[in-house]
Amino acid sequence: MTRIAALLQKEFADLRHHPGLFIPPLFTAFVAIALPFIVAVVVPAVTGERLSDSSDFQIAVEMFRTQPITNGMDAEGAIQAWIFQQFLPLLVIAPVAASMSVAANAVVGEKQARTLEPLLATPITTRELLTAKILGSLLPALALTLGCFVIYAAAMAVFANPGVYRILLAPRSLGVFFLLGPLAALAALQLAVCVSSRVNDARTAQQIGVLVILPLAGALVAQLTGALMLTMPIVVGTAVLLAMVNVGLMVIGIRLFDRESILTRWK
Amino acid sequence: MNSPSTDRGLAAVGLTRRFDTRTAVQDVTFDLARGEIVALLGPNGAGKTTTLRMLAGLIEPSAGEVRLDGARVEPGRADRLRSRVGFLTESPGLWDRLTVRENLLVYARLHGLTPASTAVERALDTFAIADRAEEAAAVLSKGLKQRVAIARALLHNPDIVLLDEPTSGLDPESARGLRELILRLRDDKRAVLISTHNLDEVQRVATRVAVLRQRLLALDTPDALRAQLFGTRVRIELRGAADRFVPVVHDAGRGVAAQGRVLLVATHDPIHDTPALVRCLVEAGADIVSVTPEEPSLEDVYLRLVRQPAGRDPRLVGRSPGDDGSGPGDEGSA
Repeated sequence: MTRIAALLQKEFADLRHHPGLFIPPLFTAFVAIALPFIVAVVVPAVTGERLSDSSDFQIAVEMFRTQPITNGMDAEGAIQAWIFQQFLPLLVIAPVAASMSVAANAVVGEKQARTLEPLLATPITTRELLTAKILGSLLPALALTLGCFVIYAAAMAVFANPGVYRILLAPRSLGVFFLLGPLAALAALQLAVCVSSRVNDARTAQQIGVLVILPLAGALVAQLTGALMLTMPIVVGTAVLLAMVNVGLMVIGIRLFDRESILTRWK
Repeated sequence: MNSPSTDRGLAAVGLTRRFDTRTAVQDVTFDLARGEIVALLGPNGAGKTTTLRMLAGLIEPSAGEVRLDGARVEPGRADRLRSRVGFLTESPGLWDRLTVRENLLVYARLHGLTPASTAVERALDTFAIADRAEEAAAVLSKGLKQRVAIARALLHNPDIVLLDEPTSGLDPESARGLRELILRLRDDKRAVLISTHNLDEVQRVATRVAVLRQRLLALDTPDALRAQLFGTRVRIELRGAADRFVPVVHDAGRGVAAQGRVLLVATHDPIHDTPALVRCLVEAGADIVSVTPEEPSLEDVYLRLVRQPAGRDPRLVGRSPGDDGSGPGDEGSA
């Protein structure tokens, strides 16, 4: 644990000394938060047309009026709640996608900077090294996700119809945010670190790592188009699946991390 | 295969490392005792860094073994070895964005030193880098980076120190400072192995020299290698042509060569033989200007070794510290 903490300290010090690294994640998070507000609040206000005037959202009205947490909402509020919930996975994906560059650079970056060999000359084990590297990108991603949640809720309380923010307190929303999100982030970042320990170029690691985001992005699109509804059983089922994937990735990651090849074959 | 003689320190026993079909290091055996400095010499690609990495527990040998205090380091259990070894890699490998202090603190914690900050303060003072502690590593000169890297390698007070080209690219003043530090390590009874191309440095600091070209070609004190490869010669400068005195020396049963006004005479024991040799020449009518023992440079020794055909001369391998106390002394003794 001490060695994991030591390397984590280095990762955070590195981030602290390189504040520019925070710009892409913060920008991505801002866009992810702003997008549903543009659809649900800004566009209706600018055009003067209420969402409830459109028959496209009738299904949302019906769906949300039956839920206890949104019970008693008017049609406009129910549609806003539906939109805010549909965009919720975007807030989970955005910080992970933004942290991908840190994870993809985790091992190959050390090798390219010639800092890996002295590090491997210490008693640190492969498990400790990989854990620290994964946590080094996961913890900032989770902190950003949590920050997004707080800002999202606060902005909903201020700009959306009264009571709409309560949709974030629904078990499904909490499950997406605090269960599915961290597990998906862990899987994605573990995979990126694994890739980072097998390629000899950070760009390649990043490009391969971004592929991990594709299934998550697909799930988001499916939800936005109504093809997939993240119900509570789906959230729990997916969380269990992701937990198993994470265990498997940790085992595979340790096996794939070949100290000798990294030291002797990478140039 | 020769057996290493020390049970305190580090030993390579028949170390071999293959990469696919290429053999980088083959059957290398030597020991590294506390209080000595062994210089590992060899041309580029000779296997020096691979040998150091095996000894540091970074890569495992394909055959043979590393012994620590006489006990074999089992495959996959090199963490104990790594905690005992201080390894200066070829490149300083500092985290550029972190300050000097932050770089050292991370390593102090990786080695489990408590309190880490005390160990770092001590290192900053010992290596005279305290005034640069808050600067980012990126802005340091090459010499300072190397000094920080050595401070990092020695943070956990290892008794075995492996240095891969420690003075490469350093200016003369920095290199001298580093050499003094290496000699201090020896005086602190640490076992030091240096891989280097700098023969002057070797001449100044090394107790023994190991010459590697995939195999170990030679391992001995610099003086012993000189004597074995070149013999000992006395250089006698005359006032006139030297060739007419060649038969005189030859008749005395010694190998001799004449070069202008100089006679080069082979001898096993210059202190014992030289007075008689001088008497013999004076009696033959030679006007002697000077008599000096001729010492081939370490470069001559090295070049002769690496240019010889593949294979090793068993006479040149296997001497251990204590067999011969004639290693060079401190800085400037050469």
